Amino acid sequence: MLHTPIEPARNRTTVMQGQALVSADPRAEFSTVLGSCVALCLFDPGANLGGMNHFLLAEPPRHDTGPHPDAATIDEHFGTYLMELLVNHMLVRGGSKARLKARLYGGADVNRTTMRIGEANADFARGFVNREGIELLATDLGGTSARRVDFRPASGQVRCRHVNDSFAPPDRPTIRPAKATGDVELF
Amino acid sequence: MTTTRILTVDDSPSMRALLNHALSAHGFDVVQAEDGMAALDWLANNDVDVVITDINMPRLDGFGLIERLREGTRHRDRPILVLSTESSEDKKARARAAGATGWIIKPFDPAKLVAAVRRVAH
Repeated sequence: MLHTPIEPARNRTTVMQGQALVSADPRAEFSTVLGSCVALCLFDPGANLGGMNHFLLAEPPRHDTGPHPDAATIDEHFGTYLMELLVNHMLVRGGSKARLKARLYGGADVNRTTMRIGEANADFARGFVNREGIELLATDLGGTSARRVDFRPASGQVRCRHVNDSFAPPDRPTIRPAKATGDVELF
Repeated sequence: MTTTRILTVDDSPSMRALLNHALSAHGFDVVQAEDGMAALDWLANNDVDVVITDINMPRLDGFGLIERLREGTRHRDRPILVLSTESSEDKKARARAAGATGWIIKPFDPAKLVAAVRRVAH
């Protein structure tokens, strides 16, 4: 009688908004649910190492009567920091920037508003990956439905499913960590 | 009055663009290198008033750059500020031992960065 090998139980971790996690554990799986938020999945096939972040950078306009009332605003300093944090975690664990492969998910307009917060986040993430010269293998961005993303960092395998909007976290811009405020220490 | 010239060393084009914008807007002359090796090559034939360097970079990281600059006499007193996502005391101590002048945590605040540069610039 033939037996199909039972796949070992996965060590699943939910990647919360503002987090950047990296692992080379073959049993690890990172999961997240995205509405307007965007997740960047990075994989280094030479080191069998992967990482995922989850962020929302854009804020609705403060004045509806301004020159661009429909435009969401991006905090580029904090956004670049969150992306660099994930890249640095990869490099510290033995990854090589030249080998990194990227996939981007999320950025939906789940609330069907005109502010297009998800679109602003998706544009920022795509721009970052392009500027950094990281190969972009796949994207599933935009639209109006939430997504669930499951990523196995050691193999780079990703599964992205569109899910009911009620599973998506509310639109709250990622909060800057208190310690990362550009503090200066002179020796 | 001469313009303060700053060399920023960072492997991220996005971060280099942010630094260039923040420093140029305050009247600094900004030169940029993509890693420690490129910075050393450029500094072999050029001078700056302040070096601002990242830590995690390919080829030659920020620690290596500081150590190499402090080996000779030419850059022994050059102010070198580290600008990094890292904030561990171990890494700060290593940078200090190598000869760094200060440590700035990313994401940087342009006003704090400019104030620090003005304070250390000779």
